[in-house]
Amino acid sequence: MIIEHPLLGPRDASEFTYLGDASMIERPDPDAPDAADAFYDYLHIRDNPAGEHRELWFHEQGDRSWLVVTRNTLTHQILNVELARDVALKARRAKK
Amino acid sequence: MKAHRISGGLIDRTKPLTFSFNHERYQGFEGDTLASALVANGIKLVGRSFKYHRPRGIFSAGSEEPNALFQIGHEAHQEPNCRGTVTELYDGLEATSQNHLGFLSHDLLAVNDLLSPFLSAGFYYKTFMWPKSFWEKLYEPVIRSAAGLGALSKRPDPDVYDKGYLHCDLLVIGAGPAGLWAALNAARAGARVIIADEDFLSGGRLNSERFEVDGMPGTAWASKIAEELQAQDNVRFMTRTTVFGSYDHGIYGALERKTDHLLESNGKPRQVLWRIYSKRSLLCSGAIERPIAFGNNDRPGIMLAGAARTYLTRYAAVPGQSVAVFTNNDDGWQTAFDFAEAGIEVKAVIDTRSDCRKIAPEGAMPFYGDQVIDTKGRKGVNLALLKSGAGVECDFLAVSGGWNPALHLTCHQRGKPQWNEAINAFIPSPDLPKGMSVAGAANGSLTLSAALEEANKEAHAISEDLGFKTKSSPAPTASDEAYEGAPFWYVADSKSRAFVDLQNDVTSKDIALAHQEGFRSVEHLKRYTTMGMATDQGKTSNILGLAISAHYTGKTIPETGTTIFRPPYTPVPIGAFAGRSRGKDFRPTRLTPSHQWASKNGASFVETGLWLRAEWYVKPGEKGWRDSVDREAKAVREGVGICDVTTLGKIDIQGRDAGTFLDKVYTNTFSTLAVGKVRYGLMLREDGLAMDDGTTARLGETHFVMTTTTANAVLVYRHLEFCRQCLFPDLDVHLISTTEEWAQFAVAGPKSRALLEKIADNPADLSNGAFPFMACGEIAICGGLKARLFRISFSGELAYEIAVPRRYGHALFERLIKDGKAFGVVPYGTEALNVLRIEKGHATANEICGQVGAQALGLGKMLSSKKDFIGKTLGKRPGIAETDLRLAGFRPLDRNRILTAGAHFISNGQTASLENDEGWMTSVAYSPGLGYSIGLGFIKNGDKRIGEIVTAFDAVRDNSMDVEIVSPHFVDPEGERLRG
Amino acid sequence: MAETSLKAKSPLNGYRKTLGKTKLEEVSGLSIVSLAIPQRGKTKLSDALKTAFGVAVPAPGKTLTMTSESGLLIGLQSDLVFALFMKDMPDPVGFIGGKIGDTAYLTRQSDGWCALRLSGPLTFAALERLSQVDLSPQSFPVGAVARTAMEHLNVIAIREDNETFLLLSASSSAPSFLHAVETSVRNVL
Repeated sequence: MIIEHPLLGPRDASEFTYLGDASMIERPDPDAPDAADAFYDYLHIRDNPAGEHRELWFHEQGDRSWLVVTRNTLTHQILNVELARDVALKARRAKK
Repeated sequence: MKAHRISGGLIDRTKPLTFSFNHERYQGFEGDTLASALVANGIKLVGRSFKYHRPRGIFSAGSEEPNALFQIGHEAHQEPNCRGTVTELYDGLEATSQNHLGFLSHDLLAVNDLLSPFLSAGFYYKTFMWPKSFWEKLYEPVIRSAAGLGALSKRPDPDVYDKGYLHCDLLVIGAGPAGLWAALNAARAGARVIIADEDFLSGGRLNSERFEVDGMPGTAWASKIAEELQAQDNVRFMTRTTVFGSYDHGIYGALERKTDHLLESNGKPRQVLWRIYSKRSLLCSGAIERPIAFGNNDRPGIMLAGAARTYLTRYAAVPGQSVAVFTNNDDGWQTAFDFAEAGIEVKAVIDTRSDCRKIAPEGAMPFYGDQVIDTKGRKGVNLALLKSGAGVECDFLAVSGGWNPALHLTCHQRGKPQWNEAINAFIPSPDLPKGMSVAGAANGSLTLSAALEEANKEAHAISEDLGFKTKSSPAPTASDEAYEGAPFWYVADSKSRAFVDLQNDVTSKDIALAHQEGFRSVEHLKRYTTMGMATDQGKTSNILGLAISAHYTGKTIPETGTTIFRPPYTPVPIGAFAGRSRGKDFRPTRLTPSHQWASKNGASFVETGLWLRAEWYVKPGEKGWRDSVDREAKAVREGVGICDVTTLGKIDIQGRDAGTFLDKVYTNTFSTLAVGKVRYGLMLREDGLAMDDGTTARLGETHFVMTTTTANAVLVYRHLEFCRQCLFPDLDVHLISTTEEWAQFAVAGPKSRALLEKIADNPADLSNGAFPFMACGEIAICGGLKARLFRISFSGELAYEIAVPRRYGHALFERLIKDGKAFGVVPYGTEALNVLRIEKGHATANEICGQVGAQALGLGKMLSSKKDFIGKTLGKRPGIAETDLRLAGFRPLDRNRILTAGAHFISNGQTASLENDEGWMTSVAYSPGLGYSIGLGFIKNGDKRIGEIVTAFDAVRDNSMDVEIVSPHFVDPEGERLRG
Repeated sequence: MAETSLKAKSPLNGYRKTLGKTKLEEVSGLSIVSLAIPQRGKTKLSDALKTAFGVAVPAPGKTLTMTSESGLLIGLQSDLVFALFMKDMPDPVGFIGGKIGDTAYLTRQSDGWCALRLSGPLTFAALERLSQVDLSPQSFPVGAVARTAMEHLNVIAIREDNETFLLLSASSSAPSFLHAVETSVRNVL
């Protein structure tokens, strides 16, 4: 596979390390009353879609950036690639 | 006797080559394949079949060959199952035939052929089942030695292989007329083009036919275009290169045979496995002719009609002197015409179509609406019997059942071929791999002019798509050859076996049997009969089998379906996939700064990940590793020892929020750490289990240096980047690894201070007051070299770690040894390091094993209640927080016994069962100071059971024994030494 | 720093070989410092770098040649660049710190890297056997940089000239790295 890195252009997937669902970015509030359940869901409950999937890839052999890659798990087509940091910042701003 | 080689052809008669077949010497020419050279030497019998050991001859002229498989080369170089039809001839080539016991001409296993009524599809499954124990001991070994293809040398492959990566705008697969023309047009438009062909000569079918293109002979046109392509800077022209697989996102796998056509490779890679990254690709892989199944259609001398033209026209090699042609289409007739034109006797053309009115060449008898029902001839065909009752005496029978587009690569991403009535064949599905287009015969445009037109059109469209400006230009002029045919698959009236898959000895009766026994889906049919398996993957047989299966099911071919193809298109040696990654080159090696010194001073090395670390240093007279390790550990406790700890991960952490960040990733607090101090930190995973530990030093207000364990360095770095970028993106914090930058040595033992004072530049105050336990700072040593000094201890002794830029590591290690002589210094390895830490009760990966949290490690107090940190919330789960497992020390009641890690603890008097399991031993060592074996382990309420005797149960190694629970701190439990 | 009595050792002991017309040599005596860009501090750092070295912060994948020194700024990450000086400096962190103050977080990297310079007609052919990244002149002109993997090793590749690449890889695996590059050149000879 080839991942179109937003800063570096096309890079072979073998330069990356895969983590999993991009929802890992949204770490629950540890002070919330239901924090234990929220963390349990956050860590262990995943969708397993046959189709579009937002997932985290780490450019370990490159610029060390975490990316959010939107990939179709059936076709491997990659629909979008973003810097995970940008996604995380956007999510924070949205929450505020 | 008539000549087997005529004039003409694309061979170089000024370059004769000598080769051997079954140890007989023969001659061929440059430009020959092994198969064409054998044809030119009049050899017809080249091997025995897989199951029945029937005599077989050359059947095709390309990579689809099912029969003509050879062992090439000798000794360790020998390679089995080489298709002679694509084996380029070279001087000194040694080939032997396969699949026979004794001589090829008198194969003792040919008895299988007489047993054939018992050897039908599924025979092995049905027959060799009882008694069950016979399978492994008797049936399988016998079947294995009788069946199967060639044999391996069973020695390491002495050849060299390599891999590589290529990039292009357009990859053209196949350098026949369509591929050549498309590549040229795209290249002229400015695209970076790679054109690859499995053959050593480009031109494809043009080399086998007598076509004209643009008013010149097809071969001349092909070489003109090839020359023009080769002259272009933006073109990479790759012959002897098979594009064998189509993968995601325009990536292709290709195998380039670099030296297979040479006797010696001279140490150069024999083959290169390329990964080709393409923006677009154009598949111009042509078509593969299919046979017709009829009785005894597998005798030597029976060959595909197109292949017959290839031998005649390209190689000037004559496969037979009296020729018959059996066809269902007009293209088959061309073989009759070409052979007649070459002056070879053509006896008959048998066409299945009764409405065919083609005029046979002079002297040849046409049989319209007739079929070859059987053949005769012991080691080669000599008679064809027709359905009409006629017999045709011939020594060569050319067969054509029409052409199948070579669409294999279009299926590699699950594209399903579609049936095309016009050509009675499957054509590529419109659902092609990303970026791929198909042109020419591969797309069902079977005639030359149509293929060139399509290539022209596709090249233009692809160039525009790639953003190049092109003018529409006309395709080269050529005519369309006659190819019309009527579907005809097999001769139903044949009484003898009609072979569908020559390589696997699958007959039309086997397919009938499979149907009868319920194996009706294509996938079942394939697996039950083994049709389409082995080296040719059914290139000539699949469609035939499908058509016969369709007949039995009463469905049409498209309704019956097709199997799709997987990579590789043709076999790829495992050696090519391995590439350079063999032996020590399997992965890189990381060396410590003291490696050179260590290897000269008796070190034995251990692999820890990629690192090679000294595990101990052998002194003269030491008889076993324990002698060395005991000596080293003792010397550290009594004097001073040096250990290279460069392998521990070092991460530079800087930023205004570096302290806050560390508070998030460690369970304890670092933002309050004073500059010039070090703190031990525990890191959890988000699930609350312990992940890693280490010390982190604060070098400045915004500057920390973290150490990780050797094993987890990469993992922790990745985790920290995840925390930094994904979880805490607002924080101003920055990470960079400095593991490689600094050579770091532990200097441990009561005399470590004295040794450091000796190498330090004056004045250096390392006294407890000035530089206490857990202090860090910069110090000048050895005449002005700035070093980092950390007062930390893994051994439990007064100890330091000193770091200098890596370039000075080797010299510093030498200096410490030299200046340490007066203090009895020893270098110590990882094994003594382990002994020392077990004596002290420090955890490593054996304890931080992914199954325990802070509490079990006895580090519950390090979980800060004042802040959030990774793993805090889920670390409160009862299974982690309320566990009664505790790290404890253990010693055997019988002090002479040796503990084993992995033993499970059982309360005395209880039976060893899962319910009574109370924990397990994690680490053991022989303590030279105590004089007996000691261990660390997790046991229920270990901290409250000091003095209790339990059983350490180890049935696996038969080493169960009674042990006493003790404090995990065997040495200096109060920590006076390390603070001293 | 005063002259230390410790003898420095480069990762490959000054290796140098000519294979055909292609040259492969260790470049020792480079000084490298990483500059991490503080959050929201890119402009400030760029200004400081322009004053100090005549060039701004390079984008990832690009290098900029300093005007005041023999050296490069190498864009590696969105918030991190390397400063590489073509000479041996005992305290490169102090040197840069003295010029740009606290506009970047500096980390010494000189000894973390082994540098090989590959030059000559077979340079590109040899790199084709190693690099997944397209290093052709069209895609990777003079001054381009890529951090990627070659034979399982992390490598920073910089095109210095049409037929010259500077390759940086970790010091500890320098012999494996050299073996990989040298094998590639031999394989295409």
